[in-house]
Amino acid sequence: MKSLRREFSSNPEAANVASKVFVRSTKSGKVQKIVRELYLRQDIPCSSKLCSHCPSIAPADANGNITPFVLSDRPAGTKAFPRGHYLVPDTNALLNGMDLCEHTGAFYDVIILQTVLEELRNQSLPLYNRLIALIKTDEKRFYLFFNEFRLETHVRREPDESINDRNDRAVRAVAKWYDEHLKATVKKGKKEKTIPAIVVITDDKENLRKAKEENVTALSLASYVDGLEDSAKLLDMISEAREARDAKGSVRGELFYPEYYSMSKLQTGLRAGNLHQGIFNVSPYNYQEGSVNVPAFDKSLLILGRDNSNRAISGDTVVVEVLPKDQWKSPSTKIMDEEAVTRNENADAEDTEAVVTDRERQALQEEVKLAHGKNSEGKPQPTARVVGVIKRNWRQYVGHVDSTSTGSLAASGRRLQTVFVLPMDKKVPKIRLRTRQAGDLVGERILVTIDAWDRDSRYPSGHFIRSLGQLETKEAETEALLLEHDVQYKPFSKAILDCLPAEGHDWKVPASKEDKGWKGRRDLRDLLICSIDPPGCQDIDDALHARPLPNGNFEVGVHIADVSHFVKPNNPMDVEASVRGSTVYLVDKRIDMLPHLLGTDLCSLKPYVERYAFSVIWEVTPDAEIVSSDFTKSVIRSREAFSYERAQLRIDDPSQTDELTQSMRTLLKFSKILRQKRYDAGALNLASPEVRIEADADEVGDPLADVKTKAMLATNSLVEEFMLLANITVASKIYESFSQIALLRRHATPPPQNFEDLINQLSKKRNMRLDVSSSGALANSLDQCVDPKNPFFNTLVRILATRCMTSAEYFCAGAHAESEFRHYGLASPIYTHFTSPIRRYADLLVHRQLASAIGYEGEDGHAKVEGISTRSKLEDICRNINYRHRNAQFAGRASIEYYVGQALKARGEKMAAGGADQGVNEEGYVMRVFENGVVVFVPRFGIEGVVRLEDFMLPGESSSWSVTERRELAAHRSTEFDPEEYTLRVEEKGHEAERNVVVELFQRVQVNVSSVKEEGRGAGKRRVRILITGTTDNTK
Amino acid sequence: MSSQRQASSAAQVPHLSPAELSYLYTSLALPQNPIRPDGRSPTQFRPLSAESNILPGTNGSARIGFADGTQAIVGVKAEVERTVLISDTLDVDQDAETVEGAEESASAATGGHGSWVQMSIEIPGFRDDDALPVFLAEMLRESLVGSVGGNEDNGERHMAGGLKGRLVINKRWHWRLYIDVLLLSQPLSYPLPLLSLTTHLALLSTKLPKLKSTGEEDPFFDDDWAAAEYLYPRSSTINSNPSQQVRPPVTLLVISVGENVIFDPSREEIAVADAVLAISFTRNSDSDTGTDEPLKLLLTQRGIANSETENGNGPDSAAAAEEETPGVWRPRRGGIKRSVLAEMMKTALKKGGVGEEVLAGLEGVEVA
Repeated sequence: MKSLRREFSSNPEAANVASKVFVRSTKSGKVQKIVRELYLRQDIPCSSKLCSHCPSIAPADANGNITPFVLSDRPAGTKAFPRGHYLVPDTNALLNGMDLCEHTGAFYDVIILQTVLEELRNQSLPLYNRLIALIKTDEKRFYLFFNEFRLETHVRREPDESINDRNDRAVRAVAKWYDEHLKATVKKGKKEKTIPAIVVITDDKENLRKAKEENVTALSLASYVDGLEDSAKLLDMISEAREARDAKGSVRGELFYPEYYSMSKLQTGLRAGNLHQGIFNVSPYNYQEGSVNVPAFDKSLLILGRDNSNRAISGDTVVVEVLPKDQWKSPSTKIMDEEAVTRNENADAEDTEAVVTDRERQALQEEVKLAHGKNSEGKPQPTARVVGVIKRNWRQYVGHVDSTSTGSLAASGRRLQTVFVLPMDKKVPKIRLRTRQAGDLVGERILVTIDAWDRDSRYPSGHFIRSLGQLETKEAETEALLLEHDVQYKPFSKAILDCLPAEGHDWKVPASKEDKGWKGRRDLRDLLICSIDPPGCQDIDDALHARPLPNGNFEVGVHIADVSHFVKPNNPMDVEASVRGSTVYLVDKRIDMLPHLLGTDLCSLKPYVERYAFSVIWEVTPDAEIVSSDFTKSVIRSREAFSYERAQLRIDDPSQTDELTQSMRTLLKFSKILRQKRYDAGALNLASPEVRIEADADEVGDPLADVKTKAMLATNSLVEEFMLLANITVASKIYESFSQIALLRRHATPPPQNFEDLINQLSKKRNMRLDVSSSGALANSLDQCVDPKNPFFNTLVRILATRCMTSAEYFCAGAHAESEFRHYGLASPIYTHFTSPIRRYADLLVHRQLASAIGYEGEDGHAKVEGISTRSKLEDICRNINYRHRNAQFAGRASIEYYVGQALKARGEKMAAGGADQGVNEEGYVMRVFENGVVVFVPRFGIEGVVRLEDFMLPGESSSWSVTERRELAAHRSTEFDPEEYTLRVEEKGHEAERNVVVELFQRVQVNVSSVKEEGRGAGKRRVRILITGTTDNTK
Repeated sequence: MSSQRQASSAAQVPHLSPAELSYLYTSLALPQNPIRPDGRSPTQFRPLSAESNILPGTNGSARIGFADGTQAIVGVKAEVERTVLISDTLDVDQDAETVEGAEESASAATGGHGSWVQMSIEIPGFRDDDALPVFLAEMLRESLVGSVGGNEDNGERHMAGGLKGRLVINKRWHWRLYIDVLLLSQPLSYPLPLLSLTTHLALLSTKLPKLKSTGEEDPFFDDDWAAAEYLYPRSSTINSNPSQQVRPPVTLLVISVGENVIFDPSREEIAVADAVLAISFTRNSDSDTGTDEPLKLLLTQRGIANSETENGNGPDSAAAAEEETPGVWRPRRGGIKRSVLAEMMKTALKKGGVGEEVLAGLEGVEVA
């Protein structure tokens, strides 16, 4: 029989053709056999600067240039490799040591194999992305070698060879080839002495053995790192996952957690509707209670206890199974703090621990009892357990070492010990960390990552990445805050700064109107335009004007900084801005979305200078009815930049009669009408607990004096009303032009069940009704929620109502039906963000879309198409900016909270000089009542805090302030919790009659706020403590 | 009109004179040892070249070329498909037929269904809905999915329910096989045996991805092609008797001339045959008890439409009335003798007979 098939033996050319065969399962359930042909080549360079041969064969681009070679001709040496070395890590080495690779102290001149890169991508996408970033940077000298495409290093899989063995063999083959290749091609004269060693890094014992047989230098990651300087620090950065995996087969038999279902079982269950997929969230008050929102149910599914949450960490995408009905429970009414419950565990003692310690079990039991008893608010809710994890959402966590877990020998040198790290984020369980520098790490803010959470380990294990600095220091805490909220705070790179105008701060609007910059722009320099912003504002986004028209109507204009003129689509600056998404404001720091030059100078609509702007101009009747609206790119010259206060003063001053003041008065008049119209249409007046910090530099005064609640001036709402109007007008315009890709913002109508609890509470405690049938009805009923004796009560209800709503989001017009565009809070059928392009990326995109919509061509005629983008790309951007927007808000709030804490601390220290720290007495309001404590909101500082049993000051009690003394008290206290009436009675055992205090929901209480040091644990860790010192106006 | 064209292009009747035909008939009909034009013995096959796994993108493939220049390529592709249970949607109470249908579909979930194998045959010069390709495809497919037999009790060890059963993944999922047969050359001789052999070989080399999930879960497969498993399991142990393994059926063409039974007839031989028979058979998986019948007859057909042989004229043809003249070919009329038919079967199916020889030969083709 004669065969026509190409045989590798018969055809000399066939050696450079190989094929790769695998099975691919598609999402739709198709199973395909995929065959890929590989054409092997010999012109893939080794990229070593030592090599004399490769530069001549490396493929050149159209200009005849070859990619610059990466690997240094003088690679660093170690004790073992004095002549220098190139590293060839295998996949596992990278999985366990990615943080090492990123470390600046070691790991230079690394050859990353294509095989390894692909394998890494299959195992961990985040690590893959980090590695790609490393390869892209020049300084670490990582070279991606396409070994599978090079004839000499391509490895054919042998029969019965596992894919892992084949890949390991590929790594060794590369090492061998590099070695021989360099020996043969190193430039003359440099011979012998300078040929670097090729070192394979692998943790696979079999691979190490085979390498030895084949005469390839190979080391395990740990033993390689051991030979480096500063090895103690570096060794800590090796991931724990591997060691845990190694140990799995061995003695540690006890499994604490149930196994996850297999992927196919999960898929089957999901499709059949038996299992549900959702994102796992942990309650901020009780670390043992999680919830998963799934599309199949209105209310989220509860996940109680560690058994059921089965190693899921807040943020993971999990698959859950609903538990039988007899296990349904009501949500917890207890505050549970992981730190408090599991206080004294020893991180090293593995064997004695059970998943649910007795203490935890007891705590859970009490809850169950409660659920089965009188259930009013808490009718049992469906509970579920986690049976699989689709996607881990682990990130790097900021935390500090629990000093009690370090053991007594903490300071002793390089002893490897296990400690617990308490993450800043209370929703994340403690992380077990093996470190040699436990002594040094105590008292520092550190960054750690979670590597694994195995069934046989009660807590996830992780490894140390770096220290941010001492706890409580400003730098460390600020960086911690930024890291926790995933804020990009690295300085802008050179590529980004290169996108700025070459003139720098000297850039001016061209004098000649013939200049291309004037093309399509209207000259509005003669209008009396001014801006009104918070004091000290540098990035002025918006300015306004108003003037009477001959026909009796008025012309009103809103002028927005023309950022899209400076930021062209898809250049590095634009990409960076789209990643950052928004400027983040911290108390004492601003993390800009755009480089300084643009944000605070060239784009900023500063007074007295000419600036490019994007203007929206309306003609309105004296009754503020809009006759027409017009959009144009323009050049303006702002006459004045007011702060809210100064603008208010000027308007109120009858002696000021100049045109500018008059136009501001006109604007104010219109804004009041607009505002009324909005409320008539059903807009909500929502409240959030905001305070403002005016960080004056004076060191002498009371630091707390800087903390101010935001005052609402009429001028605030003046600006706000016109910005809303501009946003709405622009939204309609871009939607009209781009019905699919217009970038809009919506605020979904919250489902009524979100308000259930609040409605219940209000009717029980205050006999008030909340009508949530529409935003107008809600606004009206919120107005009715007034307690004459308690002026803050209305605000409190508004804050609570706001928390029941969904958050507003950006979206792409094609993603929702037009009826879904509604902005619930603003009661507007359509809305977008247009007015702050300096600090929000969404606005910048809207600017581009609007420019396209009005046919503006720009300097080069490209502007017309800049606004147009594909829907999928826009949806990606929306997802990111929604996420960033939320994070920016959280970071801002956390920053204020931190500042308040620091201010309290500073004050405390000042007072301590004259005696004991007595804290500040303030008024607080009870927001939530739990079985063992209450949550109190203190409007003066805009903070809310948990008040635990020991922090209730009972009448007749001898006042003791220290934390330890108070903690003792908890044991002597008993409580009576009435979930139906939302009251909590705290008594002292033995003195129930005289020493007791009753608090209830919405009650105004006297509180004492101070910053206290947690003693006996977490060295130097501070928290804001709230003591309830007395109650007032007990309305019941 | 289409049948006209079909007859003219498919029949490919050699243009031999009546005298030549008569000579051929006489030599083939010689009692005991017929003389064939190419000197073969009655059971000898023409030499053929075969190879398998020639199309990397398919699950299994083969090419066979006959010495007369005809060759065929077969590719087998498999796809996962959801099993639709009609019984869920049908109301099973009144109509007897409905009940029957429901039962059938329910059993399909476990026993497989014939429609899961799809076969298409492409012959140059024919449209895909012409009668010949459709007829051939159905003939091959039927013998393929029909190769079950009622041997559920002891056939279980290898492939319960035959090919149909092998395609069942679980109650809700199954494989669907697409067998694409491509005749590369003009159909010089009747193409059925060639296509059948090639299909057989392709199926032998067919692999399905290895199932990783278990039970009634949605199927989930190993992504390593090397781990894929043969559709028709190979002997894993040396001492296992290859004759006990389930194999795809083979269809052979047999003719009778006079008392003689001749295998693998050439074009000219078919022209003078008394009867042309297509025999489909496969290994008898019941044979582990050591019966003398290693092979099992699946079906016999009058393999060729009458118009394709010279003796296929209608009964009212003018030639029927004429006297037979020695030396001049007259098409034969009437049926086939029972004894000849029995002889045909016996030669093909007996132990050590032609059938076994063919199967062994195909097995010998290296499946790479």
